[in-house]
This record gives sequence, structure tokens and C-alpha cells, in this order.
Amino acid sequence: MGIAASAAGPEALAWIVRMMPYGWISTAILLLPFTVALATPLIGRGNRRRTTWLMTGTAGVCLVLATLLFPAIADGEVLRQTFAWAPGLGLEFTLRVDGLTWLFLILVSGIGLLVGIYATYYMPPEYPLVRFFSLLLGFMGAMLGIVLSGNVIQLVFFWELTSLFSFLLIGYWHHGKSARDAARTALIVTVTGGLCLLAGVLVLAHITGSYDVDAILAAGGRIRASPLYLPALVLILLGAFTKSAQVPFHFWLPQAMSAPTPVSAYLHSATMVKAGVFLLLRFWPVLAGTEPWFWIVGGVGLATMLVGAWAATFQHDMKAILAYSTISHLGLITMLAGLGSTLGVVAAIFHTVNHATFKASMFMAVGAVDHETGTRDLRRLGGLRHVMPITATLAVIAGAAMAGVPLLNGFLSKEMFFAVALGANHGLVLDTLTVLVAVAAAALGVTYSLRLVGGAFFGPLRHDYPREPHEPPRWMRFPIGILALACLAVGIFPAWVVGPLLRAAALSVLGPQLPPYNLALWHGLTMPMLMSVIAFVAGCVLYVLGRRRIAARDDAPLIGWTSALHGFERVLAFLTTTLPDLQQRVFPSRKLQVQLLLVVLLAGVFGFLAVQPPPAPVAMHGMHVDPAFALLWLLGIACAIGAATQAKFQRMAALILTAGTGLVVCITFVWLSAPDLAVTQLVVESITTVLLLLGLRWLPKRIRELAPLSPVARYHRVRDAVVAIGIGVGLASLAYAVMNHLVADSASRFYLEQALPGGGGRNVVNVILVDFRAMDTLGEITVLSVVALTVFALLWRFRPAAESIGAPRARGSTPGQAEPHTDRDPRAWADQLAIPGFLILLIAPVIALFALHLFLRGHDLPGGGFVAGISVTMTLIVLYMAAGARWVEARLKVAPARWIGAGLLLAIASGLAAVVLGDPFLTAYHGHWTLPVLGDVPYNSALLFDFGVFAVVSGASALMLVVLAHQSLRRVVPAPDAVRDAGEAES
Amino acid sequence: MITLNDLLVMVPELYLTAAACFVLLFDVFINDDQRDATHWVAIIVMLVGIFLVVHGQPDTTATAFGGMFVRDRMAEILKVTVLIATILMYVMARPWLRDRQLFMGEFYSLSMFSVLGVMLLVSAGNLITVYLGLELFALPAYALVALNRESKLSSEAAIKFFVLGSLASGLILFGMSLIYGATGTLDLHGIFAAAGTTTHPHLLQFGLVFLVVGIGFEFGAVPFHMWLPDVYEGAPTPIAMYISAVPKLAAVGLAYRLLEVGMGPFADDWRIMLAIMAALSLVVGNVVAIAQKNLKRMLAYSTISHMGFVFLGLANPTPEGYSAALFYAVCFALMETVAFGVILALARKGFECEMIDDLKGLNRRSPWFAGMMAIAMFSLAGIPPLWGFIAKVLVLKAAIDGGMLWLAIVAIICSIIGLFYYLRVIWVMYFEQPAEGVEPLQAKPDLALRGLLSINALGLVAMIFFSGPLLAWCRAAFGG
Repeated sequence: MGIAASAAGPEALAWIVRMMPYGWISTAILLLPFTVALATPLIGRGNRRRTTWLMTGTAGVCLVLATLLFPAIADGEVLRQTFAWAPGLGLEFTLRVDGLTWLFLILVSGIGLLVGIYATYYMPPEYPLVRFFSLLLGFMGAMLGIVLSGNVIQLVFFWELTSLFSFLLIGYWHHGKSARDAARTALIVTVTGGLCLLAGVLVLAHITGSYDVDAILAAGGRIRASPLYLPALVLILLGAFTKSAQVPFHFWLPQAMSAPTPVSAYLHSATMVKAGVFLLLRFWPVLAGTEPWFWIVGGVGLATMLVGAWAATFQHDMKAILAYSTISHLGLITMLAGLGSTLGVVAAIFHTVNHATFKASMFMAVGAVDHETGTRDLRRLGGLRHVMPITATLAVIAGAAMAGVPLLNGFLSKEMFFAVALGANHGLVLDTLTVLVAVAAAALGVTYSLRLVGGAFFGPLRHDYPREPHEPPRWMRFPIGILALACLAVGIFPAWVVGPLLRAAALSVLGPQLPPYNLALWHGLTMPMLMSVIAFVAGCVLYVLGRRRIAARDDAPLIGWTSALHGFERVLAFLTTTLPDLQQRVFPSRKLQVQLLLVVLLAGVFGFLAVQPPPAPVAMHGMHVDPAFALLWLLGIACAIGAATQAKFQRMAALILTAGTGLVVCITFVWLSAPDLAVTQLVVESITTVLLLLGLRWLPKRIRELAPLSPVARYHRVRDAVVAIGIGVGLASLAYAVMNHLVADSASRFYLEQALPGGGGRNVVNVILVDFRAMDTLGEITVLSVVALTVFALLWRFRPAAESIGAPRARGSTPGQAEPHTDRDPRAWADQLAIPGFLILLIAPVIALFALHLFLRGHDLPGGGFVAGISVTMTLIVLYMAAGARWVEARLKVAPARWIGAGLLLAIASGLAAVVLGDPFLTAYHGHWTLPVLGDVPYNSALLFDFGVFAVVSGASALMLVVLAHQSLRRVVPAPDAVRDAGEAES
Repeated sequence: MITLNDLLVMVPELYLTAAACFVLLFDVFINDDQRDATHWVAIIVMLVGIFLVVHGQPDTTATAFGGMFVRDRMAEILKVTVLIATILMYVMARPWLRDRQLFMGEFYSLSMFSVLGVMLLVSAGNLITVYLGLELFALPAYALVALNRESKLSSEAAIKFFVLGSLASGLILFGMSLIYGATGTLDLHGIFAAAGTTTHPHLLQFGLVFLVVGIGFEFGAVPFHMWLPDVYEGAPTPIAMYISAVPKLAAVGLAYRLLEVGMGPFADDWRIMLAIMAALSLVVGNVVAIAQKNLKRMLAYSTISHMGFVFLGLANPTPEGYSAALFYAVCFALMETVAFGVILALARKGFECEMIDDLKGLNRRSPWFAGMMAIAMFSLAGIPPLWGFIAKVLVLKAAIDGGMLWLAIVAIICSIIGLFYYLRVIWVMYFEQPAEGVEPLQAKPDLALRGLLSINALGLVAMIFFSGPLLAWCRAAFGG
């Protein structure tokens, strides 16, 4: 049946097919537009003619190359060319050509060529063609990419790319608000569809395990049987429907008409909107033939066809009529695909070609009218056949094809459509409805075609045009003429002109299922013929009777609500204002307290949900609580609560109460037979309290409650209290649960067993600190030293804030009267501290001695370098408190920084000594010496290390406390000398 | 005992420790007008760091310190990306910092320590190492956010970041101790083994929740996202860039180590948690982003939504899922650097270019920067032909293959919503007139900034064709 086949014979054809580098041809078709698109701005800048040649030349070459491919695919074969893309993803860049692809290749490149010629003359000279053609070429490449895609990801890739180029092309005249809005609407709708499509093809890929189109096409039965079939179908259809402007996503297309007319002709009638149809046809073998397919695709197509035709009838803007008419025809094609019959597919393909031809020529004719007269409003047009007869003739041909007049291509595919509608078999009601809607849409098609052509070109010539109209330039009429000729040629000699193409395309979709069909002008007096006549007559009658009434209306009756644009705008408004506002109110993200509360609560809720059912309550048996112990804890709890309630206004009291709680904890440790812990806790507790007390005076004063609590504040308080208690109880019970949960084979046994034989000490904690884990301790004391120095560096120039200057007055002293030259701080002695101060002076050496004791016995009994160090600091601090900084520093050489340095060096040296002796760093030695008088004396080299710890701890804490204590001096004597002295050297 | 092997495995980390200390000291001994030297030294340090991570290491997984430290492919990819992102930050930050008298040595040494923390974190084989890395990353980051001490906003952001960050690490620590209590080990493989055979799953599940909460915080996933917008807005822009890119990479490592390596037997539990957080992040991030007028805040919410996408991959506990998440995080980090890079390039003394309206009519004044920004926005929106598209395909596929079609559909719907605000930026740049009296272009944007930004942005285009190797690398990282 193929032309080439009959001319050259099968052998020669096979030889040609073998010899042609088809893979490279398809690659070239895809790459050429993109390459030229990138090159156009460089080559074509400032030269209109060269730019035009680049555009038309590229399209022409693509057309020629595509034509060359035909012999290879004419009988249903598939050409594939594969490149590596993302192997990790199992993704290859595949170019796949079959009959359907080929048809679209011809459409895209052919109409691209004509649009290129047309646009050169259509676009006003002042607009740069470079960018326009560059974008147009880019679009062409993307569109060719869609149809050539051999894998689904690649398809989505190019699909989204066409949306992007459509956005840029619609927004081409971005000075106009309408163009910008339209561009945005189109992008949002089509990209939305593209994303749905992406999800859809991913589901397909999930079902079949491959992204390859051929693999997916081969797995039709598996896909239809899969439970994921429906989601995949809906997602893919969403992609197709948005692109092909099906109800209810059709609103973007009429809006997109604010693009330049060549763009409308190319993207929004001939090619891009057909991508959805292409998709339906491409996956027809896989997805069609099921109930959901029939109902969704058929239903949507039917509705779109009717709504589009009805709306088109009532438009006044010529481009708007064409836009709605396009919607209607796209609905028709969709419906044909949706009916599920094989003849429907043939008809759909046929009508796709026909519609592209007549609609593109119609758009160009309308563009010519707009170009010449300066208006597209039918109410302001008329009689143009007198001034532009050639254009009028071409428009009449194209319009007649659109209306489905015999001898033109539109008629043939409409006949086929009627035949399909009549052949449907889905129950009487449904079939009747289909036929009725088909006839009604066809009749409306006749009406709006008449309005369009009649209104613009016929009737009396008007003289009030914004511009003086005359025939457009020859090359602007040329593309219209070519397309009109094509309409005629197909209409009169269908079997010759499109027979082979249609067969190849239908074969690639249907394969062996290809139904018999007859491409002839005259089938005899059949039912479809009768329907055509009815539709034609009804359309003419409607036009004659209703034209005045239509002209008086501003919008289409009955279907105002289907103008989904309003809905879209409402969704937009909801998404862009209402929802974010709501969410920001629900999720207040500015206040830290609220954020904290939310995080804690959510963590709690998640945790609670995770542990369903909740863990069994911890068994409480075997617990004998001593009443005295309980009383002790009651006291501790009372202190803690007291501290919490007083913290806001009575800082001092709160601090003392906190110290009380700490004390209870210490006693608990003693109670539970952990004397070393208790000792450590005790000294740490004391020194922390002192530290806090020293810091306390620099906090700003609080003003006691000004006003009674508002209900909101009270609510917040109660809420916070509940949350706090809840978390406390939760954590406590959890900790308890963990402790009771499992006795892991922990490290403690090893240490308990090895402390004496391995470390030579009975105080296991101390042995661990200075021997087993001495490396950790070394790190810790280093950090401690750094911290102390940092605190010193931060504080030694610190000036108290103005509002806290008065704070010490509360203590009863009079700071202004300090006399820097007196040796002894009079304040400390003069007031109530006199006796305690004296006692402290007496006790201080005792404390120091006790510290030494703690240190020396540390390896065997509770004590050790850490506790001793802090005790020494306490000695120092009581002296400072009792006698004042000047008095102490005049008598004692306090140089904490040196202690730190010396301590660190000693610790390291003790470790290095082991290295010198050939053992690993920080190995400790222990044994016994027999001394003459004292007898058997144990020795332990870890003691040296421990002394280092002792020195660092005492130095560091002293340094920090001293620098805090010096704040009081600073107020009196501005210079920071004293502090520097204290920190650096005694000299 | 420490062996030579232990040290060799850790060479990049040891090197960076030494280098950061060196930079810290180096900066002390130069004048303020010689700060450029610190800048270049820091960049060279990072470049050498990349070299050390990629080269001079065996090709197999290696552990050190008895499994405390793991060097594998995943860690390698994350480390390289983190180092690259940091270099980008250094180059792009210099003019900005100099204009604001913030061009200080601390910026470099703090960020290096923070990067070191990330490197440690992604290589952790033990709960202790995880926590150590986390804190080492976070502490300098808090300070970096407060780098601009004059700015109240900056201090506020730092305080919030610090308080919430401490809370989060406290929660993680709590979770870790519960898990330790239940399994008796800190080693992640040990936990895996113990979790597989446990008869008391409740305690572990409870601990797991806190781990997930901490991970969610690190990612900035809803409902633990609240710190993110404030920090983005308040932090100096280069730091916001750092915070937007690096912690997310770290979080992928964190999630993989804790959840898969450690709590693998509980995958069914944590997948659901991640899926819920993913859905919430997608919805909240995208919807709230629309309402933002501040560009940095908008990017913050956009980040939140992208973390939802990363979770999409993580919620499918297979090599495919993890590699998708890793790929997405890498891609996201390099998209964020472009977006912030343009903000940095447009800002100048006394003008921050923080509001979306500051971009009005950018195309007229500087088509090149407008183009870069458009690339970043379209890539973030996941529109071809940009890198974000491939990343999105991967995570969506992971979610669908993992049987979470509903989540994929939520993601699709949300990315449609997301389109609105990305588009608004483009809209403002291309379709609107510049505001009166604003001339927001530096007389001469820094050459290095311009060059690197352009390479970065064009890379987003080129990567659509060349993601094969990276993808293969990611896949190999998880043994797929």
C-alpha cells in the first residue's frame, strides 16, 4: 500500500532500509532544533533574515529527515536508538520511531516550518525575532522529544520542557498583564499535569519493572490486572487532560490566546495540545479497554467536546472562538480514543492530523486579519473579502474544513467519528447520548465556523478599522495556502494522500488489531451521512436565527459555571493566602517558648504512640522504703518546689532552697552507700551555689508583681506546670524502667574486680579516673583548663550593667566608701560578717588540710584529686568572702593560671614517664616500698597524675571564682589591674 | 590501643582538625587587611581535604577504633559534598562579609570545626561518635549564626537555634540512653543485632522515637522545623547558606547510621514516622512558603518541603531508597548554594536583597543573575531540564517502589503548590518593574563569586545529562 513500496519493489526497499543510518537520523532530528536554538542568539542577532533562515531551515531539515524515515516504519516496525543516560537508574536515552511518532514528527516539523515563515512577517519589526525563534525552536525540539521518547522518564522530561517553553512563549509579550497571567496559568496547569504524569509513569514502571516504552507496551495485561492500575491510569490521564485542555482543565487554553498568533497556531492548536492526545494513543494498547478508561476518557471527551463547541459559539474574539473550537475538537479526539474501539483509534489519529491542518491555517488567517485591521472582535469586523480576497478564500476553505463540509478533510474524519459513535455498544441510553452529543457538537461547529468566516469576511465592508486593511504580504499567505491545499487534497484524495501515513500510525498503535476502514470520499447514503446532513442544516439554521442574539451576549449561557478559571483562581487564592495564614496561626513559629513546648509535646506524643500498648507497669514489689528516707525526700521535694516558685522574685531564697535539694541528694548517696559520690556531690554543690551567688548580684533587679495575673497568663502557667510535671514524671518512670529493665553485661564488673590487682587502689572510681581511663581524664582536665581560661578572658574586662550597680546595697554595705589604700577591706570586718569572718580565718587552714587528706587517701577511700581540688578552692573562696579580695591577695600568692599549667604538665609528664620506661602512655605503676621508720608504704605512680588533676581543678575553679569575685572591686577601682594580677602572676 | 591503621582511616578528619587549628592560629598573626590570606588558605585547606577524602584511601569500607569510626562510600560522598558546599560558601561569602565588617578569621575556623563535626557524624559507627559529631557540628554553627553581634535578629536566631538545638540533642541523647539501656551496647552493629533478637521491643521503640525526633530536628522536618525559618532569616546570609546545605547532608548520614545501621530491625516503625514527617513537611513547607515575603524565609520553608522529599527516599529502606535520598540531598545542597549565591551577589553595603520584592525587574538590570536565579528556582521546583527533576524522579520512584504511593501523590500535589512560590520569584524578576530608587547591583560583583556561581548554576543544567556517575556512586554506597 505504501507509495515507496509500489515504486521500488520490496527488495530495493529492504536494501534502503538496511543501508540508511536511521538511528542517527532520529538523533539529528532531536538535536538539531536545540542546537540551533542555542546558536540563534549568537548567529542571528540583529539580522532578521538570517534568523528566519535558521528557524525555517531547521524545521525544513527536520521535515526532510523525518520523511526519510518513513520506509523503515511504514509496516509497523519500530526504530530504536539508545544512548547511556543514567545507568544507575536503569535509564537509557532512547529514541524510538514508529508510525505514530512519525506522523507527529511530520506535523511538528512541517507546521513549524510554515509557522516560521508566517511569523517572520507577522511579528512587528520592532520585536526581536531572535529570542522568539530561539524559544520556538526550543519548543519544537521538546515536542519532537516527546514523540521520539523511547522511555517514559524521557517523555515526562520533554513533556515538562514543552510546558516551560509554552510559558516563555505565552509570556513573550510580557508587558501585557493578560499575557503574564495567561503564561502563569498555563504553566501551573500543564506542569501540574506533567507531575501527575511523572507519578503515573513511575507507577507503570513499578508495575512492569522497566521505563522502556516497548517493555511497557508489551506488559498491557499485567498492567491492567495490577491493583495499581487505577492510580496509574488516573495520574496519566491527568497529565493528558491538562495538556490537551480537557474539561475541567480547559480554562488555560483560551487564556493562552494572548500569545502571539504564530504561537497560538503552533502550540495551542497544532502541536502542544496534541501531546495529550499522543499520550492517550501511545498508551492506548496498555491502558484502554477497561471500564474506568471508558468512563473517564469517554466521559471527559464527550463533555469537553460539547462545552467547547457551545462556548465557541458565543465568543466574539476570533481567537477565542478558535481556542474553544480547539478544545471541542480535542474533546472529540479524546472521546474517540476513550470509546475503546479500534476504529475509534484510527479516527482519532486521522482527526488529529486534519485538525492540525485546518486549525493552524485558520489561526494564521485570523492572525492575518488581526495584523491588517488591528482588531479581532467579530462585532467590529465585516466585509473583508473586498479588501483581502485571497485571504478570505483561504479562510473559507479552512473554515469549511472546520465545519466538516464535504470535499475537505474535516468532513472525512467527522464521518468516521459518526460511524464510531454509531458503532458503540454500551447500552441504549449511552449510545443514544453519544450520537446526540456528536450531532449537536457538529451542528455547533457549523455555527461557529459560519460566524467566524461570515462575520469577518462577508457582509458590508466597514470603514472604521483601526488600520487600513489590505492583502497581507505574499509570504504570510503562503503557509495558509499550503495548509488549505492540504485540507483540499486530503478531502478529495484521502487514500492517496494520507492513506499510508494513517495506516502506519494506526498499525503502530493497534498492531494486528487494525480494523478494516475505508478512506473514501463517498460511502453512499449511510447513517453517518445522514447525521452530517442533519448537523449541517441545524448549524446553518442556528446561525441564521441566532446570530443577532449571540452577538448581543457577552458570554456563553448555561455554562458560565464551567468556566473553571474562576475555580482555579479561587484555588489559587486559597492556596496563596487563606491556607498559609491559617497554618501560620496554627504553627506559630516566632516564639521560642511555644516552639519548645511543641517540640516537647510532639516528641512525647510520638513516643507514646510508638509504645502501644504501653509497657507493663514496673513491678513495685520488694521495695521497702525507710520512713526516714521518705521524710528526707519529702524535704528535698519541698525545697525544689519552693525554689521553683520563688525563682522569679526571690532569687536568693530560691538558690538556698536549691542548695537544700542538693544536700538531700548528697545524703541520698550516703544512704545508698556511695560515699565517694556523696563527697563529690557535696563539694560540687557548695561551689556551684557560691558561683551562682556571685553571679546573682549582676542580674538586673526584678520588680515585684505589678498587676494581678491575667487569665491567659494563668492558663499558660497551669499549662506549663502540667507539661513540666508530666515530663518529669514520664522521665522518672522511664529511667526507673530502664534501670529495672535489663542487666546488661556491663563494664562495671571488670573494674570492680580489677581495681585492686590492676590499679592498686580500693576506690574504684578513683582508680578508673586516674588509671584505667586516665586518657579520658587527661582530655577532661584539658577542657576544664580551656574553659577556665575562656571564662577569665570573657569576664576580666566585664563591666556590670548599670541597672545592677545598686544590687549589693541590699546586703547593707556601702560600696562608695571603700578606701582603696586600706589593707583590709573595712566592709568585710565592719558589718555583720565580723565574727563569721574571724572564724573562717581560723577554719581555712583546716579545710586546706582536709583537702590534702582527701587527696592522699583518694586511691583507696572516698576522695581524690578532683574533690581535693574543689575543696582547696573552697578554702580560697571562704577567705575571699570573709576578708575581701584585697586582703587575701595581699597575703596569699594566688596564681591559678600557674596551677593549671603546672597541673597539666604534671599529668602529661606522668604519662610520658611510662613511655620512657617502655610502656604505653599513661601506664601507672604501683607497689610497696619498705621504708626504715614507716615500714611498708604503698606507692602508686597514679598519684602523680592525680596531683595534676588536683592542681588543674583547683586552679581552674579558683580562676573562675576569683574573676567573679573581682567584679566587686571593679566597681570601686575602675582599672582591671587587680584582676590581671590575680590571673597572671603574683609579683 | 590506637593502631596506625586507625589513624590512616581517619586521615581526612585528623588533617582537618590540624588545619582548622592552623587557620585559627594563622589568623591571629595577620593584620585585618591581610585577611584574604586566611580566605585562600581556608579554601586550599578544603580542597586538600577533598583530595584526602577521595584519594589515598582504599576503595573498601574501613573501620577504626573498634568500629567507632566507619569510612565508607556514603560517608565519602557526603564529605565531598560538604566540603564543596563549604568552598562555595567561602568564595561567595567574602564580598558580603567584607562589606559588613564581618570578614574575620573566626568565620573560617568555626566553619571548619563545624564541617569536621559533620565528617565525624557521617562516619559514625557508634552512638558516642554520632553524638560527638552532632555536637561538634552544632556548637560552631550556633556561634556562626550569631556572627553578626550587632544584629538583634542574628542574636535572636542564634539563641533559638541554640535552645532548640540543645533540646534536640538532649532528646537524641535520651533516645540513645534508652537504646543503650535496652541493648547494652553503643555500637550500631551491636544494637542492630540486639534489636533483632530483643524480647522487649517497647523500650527500643520508645528510644527510637527520640532518635527520629532528633533526626527530624536536624533535617528541619515538620513538626520540628520551627527553628529553620528564624535561623535562615536571622543568620548572616552566608551562614544561612551553610545551614541550608550542610546539615541536611549530615542528616542523611545521621538517619542512615542511626536508623538503618542501628535500628534496622525496626524499619517498619520508623518508616511510618518518616513518612508522616515527610507528608507534614511537604504540606507545611510548601503552603507556608507561599505566604513569605522574605526571600530567605521562603527558602527556609522551601527547604522544609525538600526535606519531605529526602524522607520520601529514606522511607523506603532499600539501597534504592537510600541512594535516592542521598542523591537528593547532594542535589539540594548544590541548588541552595545557587539561590543563596545570587542573594549574596546582589547584596551590597546597606542592602541585603532579602525580600522577594528586591528582585523586581532583575532581568532588566542583570539578566545573567536573573538567569541563575531562574535556574535555581526551576531546579528546586523540579522542572526539566534541571537537576532537581532527576532527583525528584528518584525519590518519587523510591516511594512508589516502597509501596507508598499515597506519599508520592502527596508529594506531587505539594510540589504543584510549591510551584507557586518558585514561580513568583521568576515572575518578579522577569515580569515586574524595578522598585523606585533601588539599584541593587554591586558596581562590580566579585569575580570569583560570579564565576563560581555561574559554574554552580550551569552545573544544575549539565547534571541532567551527567548524573549517571553520581547516581552509580550513590547506589554503590549502599551496596545496590
